[in-house]
Order: sequence, then structure tokens, then C-alpha cells
Amino acid sequence: MSGEARSSGPAMSPDMKALLVPAIDSRSSWRELFILPLAAMFLAMLIGALIMMATSVAPETILQSFIAMAHGSVGSIHAISETLTAAIPLVLAGLGIGLAFRAGLFNIGAEGQMVVGGLAAAIASFLVTGLSIWLHLPLVLLVGLAIGAVYAAIAGLLKAATGAHEVISTIMLNLISIRLLDYMLRQPFIQKEGRSDPISKAVLETAELPRILEFLDGNLRLHAGLFIMLAAVAVIYWLLFRSKLGFAFRISGENPGAARYAGIRAGLTIVMAMAIAGALAGLAGAIQVSGVLGRATPGFTAGIGFDAIAVALLGRSHPVGILLAGLLFGALEAGGRQMQVDAGVSIDMIGIMQALIIIFVAAPLLVRRIFPPLFRERPRGGEENG
Amino acid sequence: MDIELRGISKRFGPVQANQDINLEIRAGEVLGLLGENGAGKSTLMNILSGLYSADTGEILIDGSPAIFTGPGDSIANGIGMVHQHFMLVPVFSVVENVILGVEPTSGVDYLDLEAARAQVQEINTRYGMEVPTDALIEDLPVGIQQRVEILKVLFRSADVLILDEPTAVLTPQEVEEFFTIVRALRDAGKGIVFITHKLHEILEIADRVSVLRQGQIVGQGDPASFSEADLAEMMVGRPVSFSVGRAESTSGDTVLELAGVSLFDAAQDARLVDINLSVHGGEVVGIAGVQGNGQTELVEAITGLSAVTTGEIGFAGQDITRASVRQRHRMGVAHIPEDRHKSGMVGNFTVAENMVLNSYYDESVTSGVQIDWRRVHARAAAACLSYDVRTPSVFLGAGSLSGGNQQKMVVARELERDVRLIVASQPTRGVDVGSIEYIHRQLIACRDRGNAVLIISSELDEILDLSDRIYVMFEGRIAATFDNRGGGADRNAIGLAMAGVSQGTNPGAGRSGNRGSAA
Amino acid sequence: MFMKKAALTTGIAAAFMLASAGGASAFTACQVTDVGGIDDAGFNQTAWKGVQDAMSSYGIDGRYLESQSETDYEPNLNSLIESKCDVIISVGFLMGDATKTSAEANAGQKYSIVDFAYDPTIPNVIGQVYATNEAGFLAGYLSAGMSKSGVVGTFGGINIPPVTAFMDGYYYGVAYHNSQKGTNVQVLGWNPASKEGLFTGNFESLDDGRAFAQNLYDEGADIVMPVAGPVGLGSAALADELGSDALMIVGVDADQTQTDPDRAHVYLTSVLKRMDSTVMQVIKQAMDGSFSGGILLGNLQNDGVGLAPYHHFDDKVPAALKAEVEEVRAGLISGAIKAGG
Repeated sequence: MSGEARSSGPAMSPDMKALLVPAIDSRSSWRELFILPLAAMFLAMLIGALIMMATSVAPETILQSFIAMAHGSVGSIHAISETLTAAIPLVLAGLGIGLAFRAGLFNIGAEGQMVVGGLAAAIASFLVTGLSIWLHLPLVLLVGLAIGAVYAAIAGLLKAATGAHEVISTIMLNLISIRLLDYMLRQPFIQKEGRSDPISKAVLETAELPRILEFLDGNLRLHAGLFIMLAAVAVIYWLLFRSKLGFAFRISGENPGAARYAGIRAGLTIVMAMAIAGALAGLAGAIQVSGVLGRATPGFTAGIGFDAIAVALLGRSHPVGILLAGLLFGALEAGGRQMQVDAGVSIDMIGIMQALIIIFVAAPLLVRRIFPPLFRERPRGGEENG
Repeated sequence: MDIELRGISKRFGPVQANQDINLEIRAGEVLGLLGENGAGKSTLMNILSGLYSADTGEILIDGSPAIFTGPGDSIANGIGMVHQHFMLVPVFSVVENVILGVEPTSGVDYLDLEAARAQVQEINTRYGMEVPTDALIEDLPVGIQQRVEILKVLFRSADVLILDEPTAVLTPQEVEEFFTIVRALRDAGKGIVFITHKLHEILEIADRVSVLRQGQIVGQGDPASFSEADLAEMMVGRPVSFSVGRAESTSGDTVLELAGVSLFDAAQDARLVDINLSVHGGEVVGIAGVQGNGQTELVEAITGLSAVTTGEIGFAGQDITRASVRQRHRMGVAHIPEDRHKSGMVGNFTVAENMVLNSYYDESVTSGVQIDWRRVHARAAAACLSYDVRTPSVFLGAGSLSGGNQQKMVVARELERDVRLIVASQPTRGVDVGSIEYIHRQLIACRDRGNAVLIISSELDEILDLSDRIYVMFEGRIAATFDNRGGGADRNAIGLAMAGVSQGTNPGAGRSGNRGSAA
Repeated sequence: MFMKKAALTTGIAAAFMLASAGGASAFTACQVTDVGGIDDAGFNQTAWKGVQDAMSSYGIDGRYLESQSETDYEPNLNSLIESKCDVIISVGFLMGDATKTSAEANAGQKYSIVDFAYDPTIPNVIGQVYATNEAGFLAGYLSAGMSKSGVVGTFGGINIPPVTAFMDGYYYGVAYHNSQKGTNVQVLGWNPASKEGLFTGNFESLDDGRAFAQNLYDEGADIVMPVAGPVGLGSAALADELGSDALMIVGVDADQTQTDPDRAHVYLTSVLKRMDSTVMQVIKQAMDGSFSGGILLGNLQNDGVGLAPYHHFDDKVPAALKAEVEEVRAGLISGAIKAGG
């Protein structure tokens, strides 16, 4: 290795210093991460309003519904609590999907990974007894994480060993997980006493994620999973952009030919990336069970694993972007509820608007065309900085 | 038909791709258009073929202004483009490919193949192209496929043909045949634009030459009035020395030795057959051959990307037949891959990230499981300076560098560390003349430091310029070997060997116990 | 850009005033549906009809919130608390846990849950349950009177009390007819003593509905009461093919001549579970201050359950039998006849 390359400090030439001035690109990435989703959201609301008008909803009702949405998502401590509660599993599962994206894998299986992770966590939460919360809760979360990882790794192994496409295998694993859940929930050691429908026993108190705003109001559901989510964002950021493994993931995703050239073992990378993605989804499932639902029921994942795909796309597979996208989706969900209550606008409208946002984010050129001033390249050194 | 481009300018954001270009294309004349990558040749031709519209300026056809709003307009005006990358359907016959998109029909939708075949055959014979019109494309050699592309534009009644780097894929013999066709077209009154960066081709075929640099015409005239050096200087903007002026090699110990190496692909087809070759410290060995004759597989076998089926590979006295890519990398094997976009770099990564693409795991840039980006950045900056990679910052996306700078970045990454063997595959493909010169110098400098250099190139000139010894590959075998110390190898003999014509090995090449001979 | 923002802000402010000024009604009743949605042609829709009836009769405000998944129950209940609803109505035993949690956390809030009750009861929740065995009893009596083959049948979705209550009543209704009129009509598909019978195991498969009805028909039954939601539509389709002379169907929950109008002619009658009626009663109690937690039993007496009109069979049911059914009904209300057999 060239010794002079490592020299630094006073010996560094001005040419070299110039090369090391960072943030040339940061403005455009700032645009990608913030302005684009915001513009997309604005357009989605606009079209949402048009659709409502087309279905003869009165203009004041439309306005009222958007106000209700704002109010229901950020307008009160309750609203913020709901937004954050909804965002937690979306962000966690979204991080996994985003990481897999970065490694060139399209993980459709977050839903199934959440199901098995959540189910395993639920089982661990009532079958294991006599532990303190300090042992029991981490155990439950780790069980969810591990089972999610193993489940996703199956798809990774299939791809690495046989070339089976992960989209197909994760979809199939989703189906299997849903039936498995139904089946397991009817097993006597899992099923709630006295019930004939599939529903698990309740999570023991020692395995519950504490609600962190309970001291204010018993209805505030926000739980300690918030901190796990934030930690996961930081860890995945570190993994992707600071660690050797993450660099290998990113090369594999950007250019498989280059990964091969660099001596990165494709099979191992695929399995590792899927396992980490599954671990995050499994953790999301475990957190839903332990922090929100208190038990496993059929459909307890509520399609979060699929919404998380949209979150990962919207967040451009960047951990910070995914955090923001997850918060946005959480806000839409909480706000959508209020929209229905206050304005009587169907909850389906929220689904339509979420889909529209994704379409606009997936078609950045379209948004750029519609809002050219926001994306116009200014000469470098302009008034804005990254 | 004469075409005149008058005052054409085109700007992409901050980049002035074409500036006030005046160009005349005359019937019955070959216009050589010379320029480095990024000089604006493609933009200009895309304007002429209707893909882009010029910001200012006009196109006159036989004196009257023409406005192109899309490729259809230029075709309708008799302008046809033959792209560097063929656009043919492999499982269709020649005739079917030629008529694709302009099928002559009779009745409602009845494909009149007979009429088409007669028409294609007529063009075929008129220009002496000798294309078997009923053969399937996939059965034809590359040189013939190219003629099918020309048939396509002639079938569409083109009077002006734009040929974009047409010789890049041809053997020297094929080039000669190709020139014959070009001359026949010219003599039949077609106007031809011949785009290339190979100076000797311009001198051979062009009636007039225009040189493009940084979007502007910097010189035009009769090729006979220019020397290669003049043209190169116009193209690059400074005097270029053509031959790298390599000193006599001081050959040392054997660094790389392949003994009886064969490689079969997944379908059990032989890709490499009984390859025996050696590369010594302090020498450059060139592998010549038309693309697709096993060169890719040879490089993969040497660098560890593919496992050989039989045979042994020795490196500096050790058997590395089963060693992994990383083990070989650590032992001092550098690899400049044949296609930087496909495997040599990641366009969306920064220059710095690309600089550690295949060494990010090395202790020198890591602390534990973490990559120490400060060290990576410092090292990348130093490498950019010492290898003339022109980038404003190591944080810039590598994809936004010019082709030459991208390749220099790859070269910098591979040569910057301690290496014993450099495997350079197509090291100057898609690279401007200035960078070619630079990269060649670096490779020779590497040799002069006592390292072994193996160059694989489909550009015979490059092989002849740099190599001390030359192996020619044909259909997965070493077809012939040549000694080129002092530039003594016979260009014509190499060309024949590349085409698979059986030939004896010239004396002196077997110096290192090489058994490679006629295929 | 800045101008746009300013305009937007003004617009929002104006709309806020608009929203807070408008529509402040004295009383608001809110409903959370289960995953079936508000238009499920089932208990969500029927319960909402009760809210709507109360809206038109008492001039109150009504709102609903649809649950897209089971995980929505709790947040939906919470949102309604935020929205200052006077009474919150939830639907179905799947929402039982979520309603209980919410009610215990918000003791000042009035709740009512349709088709579910708590043991022990919760002070601020009215559980609405239905004496479907009483109405089933009437249907059984009627069927025994109408059967020509002397065999009637029933089957259920799954073996749970809300389902088997219908079947119990049906069985004992037939038995009462036998004891009163000296007939010997048999009931296939349910035995109240052993709690065993025919169950499809689901509430979805129309094929099962057809197959189970076919089995019962093959065993001689000419009247069948399917207690399995939409599964019964499959049975009705079979009756439609065989003709209503060969096979008649007794509908459940709602008047099925309304929900399945294409095959209205096969329904002898329907055993009604009048959730709209009990919901309206709960709202009334919440309004006039008589609300107190516990159980509201919908029975024949308070119109919470009942028998639908005979519709197509109106002139085929003998007047004497009609009168007897009315007598039995009065007997059940007065307690002279016990629906439990």
C-alpha cells in the first residue's frame, strides 16, 4: 500500500485538499430525499381531491377531510402517538426491504417474515414464564428477530443454491406463513382458553413493550419500540455506509458484475442480506405483538409488510429516507382515521393517496416535469447549500 | 445528395456538446469524422439522424433547409445510420432483418417476402457485399452482420450513410474487405460519414477529414495533407506521441505460467483448450484475437473468476489453480477488466468508493468490521493525483466522469498497490487518445519496474505497440505466437492467425518453452 | 413558492374555522365496524341501520369508522374517544377484547357491543345479545307444521354458542310441535343434549352450503335452516334448483328475501336478529340517562329477535298454523313456554 496516501495534515497538497472537499452531490440527494416525496405528496393530495370531487364529495368536505388528516396525524399528542405507533413497524420492515434492495434483492416477503417473527414472539411471550421483564422482553424480541431472519434466509438460500427468484419464493413463503399462522393459532398450547376461533393467548406482562406516554393518558399507545426503531435506523445506516458487509451489499446491488470482480461471494451475500432483512421484519412483527396487539391473531400484520415495500421505495432505500417515509405513512394512517370520523370520507381514499404518492415517487421524471422550478439545476455555489 | 450542417450548436445543461459546427457531406465522398470520446461526434450525428434537435443552426439538404423532428424524418430524407452495436434479430434471416419495420406488403397484411428478397439481393450484388440473404443472423460472422446493417439502410433508400466506429469489431482482413465495400458505395454516389478514432483508417479511406474537439471543428481538409501526428494533435489539443517508445525489455523470472489449461462452460462447450503461456517479470505479453475467441475466459481463469477444468496456473512459483479471487488479489494480481461498466466500476458510487471496490476489506482501510472512510478518501485523492484522474472531488459519482477518466480511475486502483502481475483486458476501450497514451505509459512503466504485464486487446495496434511477445487466440486456443521485441512481428501474419488461417509460428517466440502453434 | 405557502396557510386557517363552527349536534353515536366493513350485508350493516334510525328518529349525529384489519380495532376506538362520541358501538365478539380494554381505560365513556356480552359485566358497556333460540323455536314449530316428509334439517358454521342457539331453538320448536300435535317430525343435524351436529367449519364456502343441504335433502329433509352466514346462499341455490316444493330454506340473521332477492321464493321465513332495534334502544338509553352497563337481551318481547314475514309462502302456510305460531310466540313472551325445551 502506498505510504504517502496515508499521510495527512500539513503535508497534504492543495490539490489533494480540493479533491477531499465533500458534499458536491449532497444537494441533489437532498432533493431526492425530501423535495421529491413532498412534491409527490402534494400531487397525490391534489388528485385525491379530484377523485373525491368526481365522486361528488362537497368541496368543503374535501377541505375538511384534509384538515382532519392533518389534525389526526400531528394535531394532538394523541395524534402524534398514533402516527409514531403506526410508523414503528413500517420503518423496521421498510429498513429490511431497503437493505435488500441495496443488495439487489426484491424482498416481497416482509409480510410473511413479520408473521412468523410475530407468531414466534407471541409464543415465547406466554410459554416462557417466571422471567423478569429485563430478560423476558429482550428474549421475546430476539426470538421474533431470529425466526424472521431464518424464514427470509430460506428464500436467500433457494436463490443462492438454485437461482429461484426471490420474488416468487418470498410470495410463496408469505402464503405459507399466513396458513401456518392460522394453523398454529388453533393449537391448544397457543390458542386462547375458551375460544374456538384462531387467537393466541395474551402476551404476559413481562413481555410487553412498555407504553412510554401512559403517564399522560392511558389511551396513548406509543411504546418503547420507538427507541428500537430509531436504533435500527442508526444501525442500518452504519451497516450500509460504514461497514465492510454493507459495502459488499451495495456493490452486489449496484453492479453484480463488479461484485464478482471484487471477489464477493454472491451466494453468501444474498443469504446474509435476506437474513438481515428478515430479522428486521421479524422484529417488526414481534414489536407489534408485544407493544401494540398483546396477542397474535389471524392477519395481525395487517399488510404492514406490503406497505413497507412502498415505504422503502419512497425512502429510496436510504435509512433516513425510510424513517421519513415511514413517519409519513404512519401519519396518513392516523390521519386517515380522523378523516373518516370527521368528514365521513372513506378510508379507501387513504389507500388511493398512498398509492398515488408511490406512483409519483416511482416516476420522478413526471414530478420533475410538473414542478420544474423545484428541480432546476442551478450553477454550483448557488444560494442554497446542502 | 449533399448535406450541409450550418452553425449547429447544442448544449446539455452546462456542457456545450456542439458549438457552431459547419460540416459538408457530399455525394460520392467519404468524410472522415475524427474525435475523442466526448468530443461531440455522437451528439452531432444524433442531430443529423433526428434524435436530437439543434439549439441553433440548420441542416440543408441539397441546398434547402430540412427540419427533423424524429429519426423517421432523417430516414425519409435519405440519411441512414449504422450503429456500432448491431440491432439485429439473431433468429431471423438476413432478408427478414433487412425488411423489419418497412415490410413490403400486398393485400391487407400479406408479407411479400419474395419481392423483398429480390430487392435485397439486388442491393447485395450491386455493392459486392456477398451476404447470404437467407442465412440466419446468428450463423453469420460479425463482419457479415455489419454488412446486413448496411443493407438495412440501403434498403431504406439511404443516400447518406453514417458509419459509427465500424471497424471496432473487425479483424484487419475484415477491415480491408469492409473498405472495399465502402469504396463501392462511394463510387455509386453515396455520401459516407466514417466516424472513428483510428487515425490510419482516416488516412486510408477518407476523402476529406474533419476533426472535432470539445464540440468544435478544429481542423478539416484533405487527409493526404496531414500526418497521423498532425491529426492526433488536432484531436487531443497537444502533441501526442504515438508509440510509447518502450525500451528493450529486461525479462526476469516467470511470474505467470499456464500449463495445459482448458475450461468448459456450463453447457460443456470448450471455451479454452490446452492453453500454455507464460509471462515473465519485466515483459509485456499481448493476447491478440477477434473478440469472443476465449480471451474473456482466459482472463477469468487467470484472475480466479472462473475455475479451470483441467491444467494448472502458477504464479511466482506457487500453484494458484484453486486460489480465490481475493487470494490472488492479495498475492499481487491486478486486473483491469474488459468492460469497466459491467464489472470494473460502479457508476453510482463515488470515485473514492470505486477506488476500494476490490480492496475495501483490506486491513489498510478498515478498522474491525468498519471501513475507515477517511483513509479511503485520502488514498483515493492521492491516487487521483498520481494517475491523472480528473475529477473535482473524490466524492463525485464515478458515472459522471468521462470514459477516459473512468478508465484511469480503474487503472489507478489496480496499479496503485504493490502488484506482480497486471492483467489488462481491453485497457483503452472507449477511452480518448490522451488517456490511451497515458494508460499505455503507465503499463510500460509498470513493466519497467520489473512486473509482468498481460494485455488482452482486440485492437491489434495496441498489442503491437506494447507487447514484447504476442499470442494470438482463435476459438479458445493459442493459434500462434510471435516475438515482437523491437516491433518485429508481422502484422499481416497476426491478422491471418486472428482469422483462423493456419500458420506457422515465427521463430523466436518459443523462447519460454511455449508449445503454442498452429490451431 | 412562498406565495403558494402563504395562500395555503390562509386556506387552512379559514377551513379550520369552518370546521369548528359547523354541525355541533347535541348527541353523537359512533360505530366501529369489524373487518367486514359497513356494507357487509351482515351485522355491521344492520347495526349501522340502528344508528341511522336513531339519527332520523332522535335527530342525533352518527359516525362510523371502518376497520381494515383486526389491528385497527383499538386505534379506531381511541380515535372515536378523541372525537367526543357520546356512545361508541362496536360489533362482534372479535372486537370483544379491544372494546373491553378501551372501556376499562376510559371509564367515563359509554360503550355498547353488538352480539357479545361480558362476564362479569363492565359498568360502562352494554353487551347486546340475542335470544335467537326463541325465534328459532318459532321457526322450528313452523317447519314441523309445514314439513311433508316429516324430516327437517339444520347445520351450522362452527360449533359456538351464537350459532348453536338458533339450532337449539329450532330443535325444541319441532319437539314442541310433536308434543302438542302428536306429530313425529325429526330434526337432522343437531342434538342439543350431546351438543353435536353438522358444521361446515367455515362461514364462506357456498359449495359447502350446497353440499350440506344436499346431504340433508337426501336423508329426507324438505326444510333446512343453515346457520352459517353466506354459506346458506349455497343451500338456497340448491333449493332453487330442486324447487321449493322439494326443499325450503329458513334464513337467519336478516330477512333473507331482502338480502337474497333472486331466490326469495325458497325462503319459508327467516329467524331475525334485530341488531338495529337493540342498537337504537342503547342509543335511547344513553340519551335519556338510563344507560347502565350490563346486558341488553334482544328477545321476542322487545323485538330484538323475531320471525320474518312468510312472503312467498304467505298463502301456503295454513291460517291455523299461522295462528298457532302466534300463540307460541305469546307463550314464549309470557314464559308459559320455555324455549329451552
